[in-house]
Amino acid sequence: MSRLTRLTRRAFILGSVTVTGGVAFGVYALNREPENPLAEDLPPEAVSFNPWIRIADGRITLIAPHTDLGQGIRHMQAALIAEELDVDLDQPELVIETGPPAAAYANRALADEGLPFMTQDMTPLAEISRDVAGRLMGALGLQGTGGSSSVPDSYEKLRQAGAMARETLKLAAARAHGVAVEELRTERGAVHLPDGRALPYVELAELAAELRPRYDVPLRDPGQWRILGKPMQRLDVLAKSTGTLTYGIDLRLPGMVHAAVRLNPRPGGVLEAHDDSAARALPGVERVLPVTGGLAVIASDTWTAFKGAEALECTWGPAAFPAEQADHWQALSDALDAPPEKVWRDEGDAESRATGWPMEYRAPYLAHAPLEPIGALIKVTADRCDIWVAHQFPGMAQQMVAEITGLPLEAVHLHNQYAGGSFGHRLEFENVTRAAEIGTALRGTPVKLTYSREEDMAHDFPRQIAMARAQGTILGGEVEALDLSIAAPSVTASQMSRIGLSVPGPDSQIVAGAWSMPYAIPALRVTAHRAPDLAPISSWRSVGASHAGFFAESALDELIHEGQADPLLERLRLCNYAPARACLEAVAEMCSWGEPLPEGRGRGVAMVMSFGTPVAEVIEVEDTPAGLRMTNAWVAADVGRVLDPVNIENLIQGGVVFGLGHAINSEITYADGMAQQTNYHAHAGLRLYQCPPIHVRVLETGPKVRGIGEPPVPPAAPALANAIFAATGRRLREMPFDKFVTFA
Amino acid sequence: MKVSFKVNGAAQSVDVAAEMPLLWVLRDHLGLTGTKYGCGIAQCGACTVHLDGQAVRACQVQAQELEGAEVLTIEGLGRPEALHAVQDAWVEHQVAQCGYCQSGQIMQAAALLDLNPAPSDDEIDAAMSGNLCRCGTYPRIRAAIHAAAQKLEG
Amino acid sequence: MSQAITRRAGLGLAALLCALAPLSLALGPAGAETSGPEISFEIPEPGSVPPTLGAEAFERIYEVVSHPRCANCHVGEDNRPMWSGPSYGAPRPHGMNITAGESRIGAETLLCSTCHRTNGDFDTDPHAPPRAGLDWRLPPVEFQWFDRSAAQVCAQLSDPERTGGRDWVELARHLTEDAGHRGFVLWGWNPGGNREPAPYSLQTHVEDILTWGAAGMPCPES
Repeated sequence: MSRLTRLTRRAFILGSVTVTGGVAFGVYALNREPENPLAEDLPPEAVSFNPWIRIADGRITLIAPHTDLGQGIRHMQAALIAEELDVDLDQPELVIETGPPAAAYANRALADEGLPFMTQDMTPLAEISRDVAGRLMGALGLQGTGGSSSVPDSYEKLRQAGAMARETLKLAAARAHGVAVEELRTERGAVHLPDGRALPYVELAELAAELRPRYDVPLRDPGQWRILGKPMQRLDVLAKSTGTLTYGIDLRLPGMVHAAVRLNPRPGGVLEAHDDSAARALPGVERVLPVTGGLAVIASDTWTAFKGAEALECTWGPAAFPAEQADHWQALSDALDAPPEKVWRDEGDAESRATGWPMEYRAPYLAHAPLEPIGALIKVTADRCDIWVAHQFPGMAQQMVAEITGLPLEAVHLHNQYAGGSFGHRLEFENVTRAAEIGTALRGTPVKLTYSREEDMAHDFPRQIAMARAQGTILGGEVEALDLSIAAPSVTASQMSRIGLSVPGPDSQIVAGAWSMPYAIPALRVTAHRAPDLAPISSWRSVGASHAGFFAESALDELIHEGQADPLLERLRLCNYAPARACLEAVAEMCSWGEPLPEGRGRGVAMVMSFGTPVAEVIEVEDTPAGLRMTNAWVAADVGRVLDPVNIENLIQGGVVFGLGHAINSEITYADGMAQQTNYHAHAGLRLYQCPPIHVRVLETGPKVRGIGEPPVPPAAPALANAIFAATGRRLREMPFDKFVTFA
Repeated sequence: MKVSFKVNGAAQSVDVAAEMPLLWVLRDHLGLTGTKYGCGIAQCGACTVHLDGQAVRACQVQAQELEGAEVLTIEGLGRPEALHAVQDAWVEHQVAQCGYCQSGQIMQAAALLDLNPAPSDDEIDAAMSGNLCRCGTYPRIRAAIHAAAQKLEG
Repeated sequence: MSQAITRRAGLGLAALLCALAPLSLALGPAGAETSGPEISFEIPEPGSVPPTLGAEAFERIYEVVSHPRCANCHVGEDNRPMWSGPSYGAPRPHGMNITAGESRIGAETLLCSTCHRTNGDFDTDPHAPPRAGLDWRLPPVEFQWFDRSAAQVCAQLSDPERTGGRDWVELARHLTEDAGHRGFVLWGWNPGGNREPAPYSLQTHVEDILTWGAAGMPCPES
C-alpha cells in the first residue's frame, strides 16, 4: 500500500508534464508484469489466462476495467477481447464485469498526449518517450479512464488477451484429443474438432489451467474481424432503453439509510457554525453528521435527506480563492502581462513579425453537470468496506476510502458502476471521501449518499477559465505570422493538489490543442502564461483544448478573413499533417464548401487536434428574425481505425452538441465566493430544438488508433463563432455567445 | 399522509409526506428506479412519467395529488422482452450513451406519439426540448421518434 | 402553429379533446390548500372618484400588470411565455422552446401541466415551475400585457371586447374569484421559490381597479 502510493505520486508528476524522471524506476519496474487480480481464489477447475479473462463455474468472465461514462467502453472492451477469443457477446455463459481496481489495469496510454511532443511528431525521441511513458504508467499501476485513451490503451492489449486465451484453450483441446492445434478452429466459445465435435471453453478450463499460456500470438488482420469494425448493438442499450440499467444512484441494500450533504457553497471554505434543530425536527431525519466542509443529513429517503439538508442553518467561512469573478479575469490579464511560463512553439520569430490585428479572447468556467448527480453507496463494517460508485480512478478512490475508514486496502472493495455521464466530474473524489466519512460514522449500516443537483453544481470543480491575446500578420493575402499567448490556471495542478501532490513543471493543458496546430504558418509562436490558482478546477471534456482550440482557431480565422482568403482553403494550404488535411478535405466535400448559400446564412470551419485525433467541423448558421439558428453541422474525424461505426457517430455527434451548447449558453461565475449558477436553468447546454443535423464521416488514414470521447468538442465553438462572423459580420471572442447575440 | 394509486396497473398504497414528489415515492418507496432524478425542478425531464395518460415531471407531482391516479413509468411502458415501439426504435437507433436521461426521453416521446402519431421535426422540437441530454444524443432521439411513429402506424 | 392545428384536426379533433379532458376534470385539485383568502370590496359609486385619483390608481395597476409575475404569461399571439425579472437579465422567451400553441395550454406542443401542476401549494423550490390552484395556461391573446404600454393596457382593460365582456366591477370580481381558487392572480403576490412578488397587494390591486373604474377609467396618453 505505501509502496503503491509512493509510485502513484511519482507517476502523476511524470505523466502530466514530463518524462525526464522516468528512468529512475529502472528497467525492472518498467517491464515488470503486474499480478493478475483474477488469479486470487481461483478454484482448481478454473482458469484465468490474464487479468481480463476468467473461466470458472461454467461461465466466461471478461473484465472491462475502463469506466463506462456513457461512451460505451464497457461494451468495446468486451468486443475487443471477444474478437480474438472467438466468443459472441450474446452467449449466455458470458459475464462482463469491471473487475476490482488493480495495477494490472493500468492505463498505459493516458500520458501519451500529455508529453511535450506534438501529435504529428513521430521522431524516434518522441516515440521512445511515449513508449517509456506508457511503461511508466504500467509500472505505476494507475488505472484511469480519461484523456480519450481507453481505446488506444485497450486496442492491442485486449485483443492479445483474447488471442492468448484462445490459443491456450486450443492447446488444451489438442492435448486432450490428440489432434494437432492447426486442425482446430474456434467459434462461439468452443473449440471445434475436425470431426465436428464442439468442446465448450467452460469445459476446457481445468485442462487449460495446467498449461503454460501461449504468449505472442499474432493478432488477426482487421479484414478478418467478425465483430470489430461493424455496427454493434451495445450491451447496455436495451437496459438503458427500458429503465432496467442500475446506476449507482439506483442501488439499494437491506437496512440502507439515505444521506444528503450541505457543504460550504464557497468551495474550500469551512463550516463556522450551525444549527441543526430544524433539520432534526423533520419527520424521517435520523441524524446530522459533520463531514469535511459541511454536514450530512441521514434520513429514511433521499427527499427527506435533501429537505433536512436545506433546513440546516449554517454560517460559512470564506472561499479559498478570490470571491468575485472580475478578480479571476484580472488574474488572467495580469498573467498575460507577465513573462510566459513556457514558449511551447516558436517558429520564424513570430514575436517580432506578428504585429497586427490585436485580438483578445475569453473562455469561462463551465460545470460538468452530468445528469446523474454524484454520490455513492457504501457499507463499512469492522473489517470490510464495500463502495459502489462510478469512478474514473477506481484505484485511487479505493486508497482514499482505505485511509478514511482505517481499513487495509485489501479490505476495501470498490464496485465500479455505469455512470450517468461524467465529462470529467467523476475524476474527482469528494463524493467518495464524504461517503467514506459518513459510512465510517455509521459503521455497520449501509448508506447511500446522493448529492442534490444544487450541491453537485456548487462543488463541480469547473473547467478552467482562460484568456488569450493574439496578434498576426497578413502578407499577400496569406497568413504570415501568428503569435498566440494563452493564460489559464493549471488544471493539472489544481486536480493534483486535491490528492496531495504538486506539479512543478509547465502544464501542457494551458496550450493543448493550440501549440501543436498542424499549420505551416511561417512565423508561429504559442506561449503559456500560467495564472495563479483561482477557483478549484478539473478536467472538463477535452480539458485544455476546450479553451485553447477556441482561441487558436478563432484567431487564425480572423487573420484569414483579414487576408480575404477562403477560411477552408487557406487552412488546407497551411495544413502540413496528412490526417488533419484529410479531415479538412472531407468536411469541404461533405458540405459542398464554397457553394452559394441562401441569404442570411453563413458557414464557419475549425479544425483542432486533441488527444491525437484531428477533427474538422463546419457549422452553418442562419440569422433569423428570432435570432441565430444553427442549421447544419458537418464533422470529419480521423481515428486511425473505426471499431464501431454506429457508436462512433453517436459519440461525435454528442461531442459537437457538448461543444456547441456550452459555447452558446453556459458559464459558471463566482460572486461572494459562490457559483451563481445552481441548476440547469442557468447552465443548460444544448437542447433538442437547437441541435442541427450533424453529418459525420470518420476517416482511417492516421498512423495510430485514437480515441473519440473528447476530440469532437474543441472545434465546435470556434466553428460556430466563425460561422456567426460569416453570417452577420460580428466577431465573437468570448463564450458564452448568448451574452452578445440572441439564439432562436 | 396515506395515498392509494396505481403504478403500471398495480395498486399501490404509501404513507408519506403530502409534499413528497412522486419521483421519490417511485424511487425510494416503491423501488422503481427507472425514473431518474436529475434536477428536481423540472429543468431536465429525466423523471418524466405518465400521470393519467399525460407526460408529467414526477419531481413536480406531490403525493397529495396522487389519490386514485394512474401512473405509468418506463418499467410499465415496455419490458426488455416486450418493447414498446418507442423503446424498439431507441434500441434500433442505438440512441443511448450514458442513458441516464433516456427513460424520461422515451416517456415524453411516447406521450407525444399518443397525441400526434406523425410529428414533424418542428413538433418534435416543441415537445422534446424540456428533456435534457448532456451526452448530446438529440440527432438520434429525433430519428428514433420518426422511426417509432412509423412502427406505430405500420 | 396553425398548420399544426390543422394537421391534428385532420387526425381527429377527438384526440385533442381527449388530451384536454383530464385537465378540466383536474379542477379542484387534491392539493392541501384548495381555497384562497376571501377578498372583500365595496363598489364605489361611478363618478364618485376624481379622475386624478383614478389616474394614480391606474399607474399602480400598470405596475402590477407589467410586472414579470403577470406579464410573463400575458403574451401575444406567438403564444410564447416569457422569462423576465430580476434573476434573468434581459427578458427572453421561456426556455426549453416552450410554445403554448393556439390552445394556450400547450395542447399542440407540450402541455403546460407537464411541469406546472394544478396545486394550490405555491411554495415551490427555487427555480422550479410555479403552480397554482387552476390549470396553468396563458390568458387569451387579447389580454396581452407583455411589451404593451400603459396606454395600450388601459385601452384593453376599458374594452369589454378584450376583457371577456367584463366591466371594471366584473374585473374586480374576477380577481377575487381567482383568489378563491388559489389561482394565478393570488399566486402573483405569493409566487414562492424566491420569486419577486407583484407590487402592492391583491387587496390594493382590487381597490385600484374599483377606484380607476369609478373615476371613469381614465387612461394615460402613453
